[in-house]
Amino acid sequence: MADDLTSNIGNENEILLGIRNLTRIYTMGEVRVRALNNVTFNIKRGEFAAIMGKSGSGKSTLLHQLGLLDTPTSGEINIGGIDILKLSESEKAKFRLERFGYVFQEYALLPELTALENVFLPAMARGRKKEDYLKTGTKTLEQVGLGARLHHRPREMSGGEQQRVAIARALINDPDILFADEPTANLDSASSRQILQLFQKLNREIGLTVLMVTHEPEDRKYVSRVIWLKDGELAEKEGISEAGNLQIAKD
Amino acid sequence: MLTDLNLSLFLAYKSITKGNKGTLVLTIFIMSLIFVNLVFTASIFLGLGNTVNNQVINTLYGNIALEPKKDEKYISDIRSLEQKINSVPGVTGISSQYVIGAAFSYKDKSGAWAIRSINPDDEKTVTIIHNFMIDGEYLSKLDTDEIILGKEIPGGYGGDLEHLSLGGVKIGESVDVLFNNGVKRSYRVKGVFDVNFQQSNNLAYISQNEMESVLGFNDTASLILIKTAETGNEEIYIKKLLELGIKEEIKPWTVYAAMVKNITKSFDMIALLIAVIGLFVASVTIFIIIYVNTISKRRQIGILRAIGIKENIIIHSYIVQAMFYAISGTIIGLFIMFLILKPWFIEHPLKFPIGYVSLLIVPEKVSINTISLIAAALAAGLIPSWMAVRETILEAIWGD
Repeated sequence: MADDLTSNIGNENEILLGIRNLTRIYTMGEVRVRALNNVTFNIKRGEFAAIMGKSGSGKSTLLHQLGLLDTPTSGEINIGGIDILKLSESEKAKFRLERFGYVFQEYALLPELTALENVFLPAMARGRKKEDYLKTGTKTLEQVGLGARLHHRPREMSGGEQQRVAIARALINDPDILFADEPTANLDSASSRQILQLFQKLNREIGLTVLMVTHEPEDRKYVSRVIWLKDGELAEKEGISEAGNLQIAKD
Repeated sequence: MLTDLNLSLFLAYKSITKGNKGTLVLTIFIMSLIFVNLVFTASIFLGLGNTVNNQVINTLYGNIALEPKKDEKYISDIRSLEQKINSVPGVTGISSQYVIGAAFSYKDKSGAWAIRSINPDDEKTVTIIHNFMIDGEYLSKLDTDEIILGKEIPGGYGGDLEHLSLGGVKIGESVDVLFNNGVKRSYRVKGVFDVNFQQSNNLAYISQNEMESVLGFNDTASLILIKTAETGNEEIYIKKLLELGIKEEIKPWTVYAAMVKNITKSFDMIALLIAVIGLFVASVTIFIIIYVNTISKRRQIGILRAIGIKENIIIHSYIVQAMFYAISGTIIGLFIMFLILKPWFIEHPLKFPIGYVSLLIVPEKVSINTISLIAAALAAGLIPSWMAVRETILEAIWGD
């Protein structure tokens, strides 16, 4: 995470993520399931957007395509003029490491590592110096409120704390965008509120772009925009954010 | 590159030190047993072959044997010949003998065996038979009407060929011997020996003086056995003997060991077969351990890949873990072999029909087994982790 809290704040109208005609078809035997169908929209730098919709609407599938965890059947995903779907697997891995951050529903921490080790792992993989990643890792954990839990292993922490470690890990390489896949699904309401407030704080204070899949209607109050999905397509529905913005889901 | 290596080592180190301790101990224990199995099997078979060879040297022919020149029946002028041989540095014993076939009879039993005649004091410098008397006493130089028998001849001593024996000759009783030159003598059985080697236990010994009176010769022999300070350098000694102008047939013990060569060759083949099977089992075991490890960490591998950790870093971390298991197992296996099993077998050699067998641990074989095990671990670490990173990230994390 950059020392300068404004480092992620760029031009608010800058399109960070351009998605064009994204389609994902799964083939199961002879059955073809169209999980995403010609999805087109933009994400601007500094947005905190929620992808919402009913179960099976394609929310997670969309997030996986955008986060380069899966490969769409067709379409384009543009970041800074680069069609990232055309990158090789190793280039995609580098892209994920350097420009994306991930928070999964199940925390996804390595049980053998302490909170600090889990957090500095991506920085270490980037080749940063030891004193640098130790210092940044510690500072990032302090920012998510876990300064006292640096050397605890995941099993010694609550679900909410583990999720905050995952957030700190996602932030350490100062990503362009943070992808969160139902990050509060396994948490109680108090922990969920803490996590969402943390996303909101990071979005407001450092301009972090967050794209989050959620199925909780009340989560809308934290986000600046809602992208509605229905049957793998963008739905014509207004996403009224209680954070103060009126958004129309389909760009 | 260095960053990748550092990260692989870091992940492997954490997995080993912070993972399940029981699994770690069990894995290394299995590895050490695999290593011990490989080395032990090879060593016991090498020990068997070594025992056979030692029996040929220590109970039958010494390191080198002189036979009569071609077309001659006996070696003549043996006193001066013995002096020549003794002048060679490293020669520790010489025993001149006659070897002759004879028909033995005792009561209504009879059979044919070879008799060797010896100077008992000289013979003690070459063979170890005097140390293996199981009844009665060894010959002395002045004995003329006495004979000692290998345990296959008298009967009643548990010989392998008991049905061909004389049926129960006791110490002090007489046996009749008809030499193949027609001379017939009666000898009192002075002792029975058992060197635990059937070929040697089928021999009988009388004194050289007695044999000379039977054959009517003097200062001759049909076989001269030579013992050298070390085994394995026979060709060097043979060269020195030839340089002294000795014209008799000079043969190393290996020529006589040809009779048991098929046995040692069979041991070698069995050892090789078991080693190959052992190595295959070792590879499969390591593979299963690493495979189960990667399967149980499938989700972790998916997470690592999702956050951008390169596939080769993940593969290398599993290879490092496999190497650690194999090297730790090998080190513990070496301790078990050299500090427990080897000393124990030296104290308690196994009694086989061909003699007492101890472990013969050859450094080359240990090295080959070590390298093979580490190579197997390398492959066993590589393949499952490579398979694990071939999955899509979503499959790895969510098992889709």
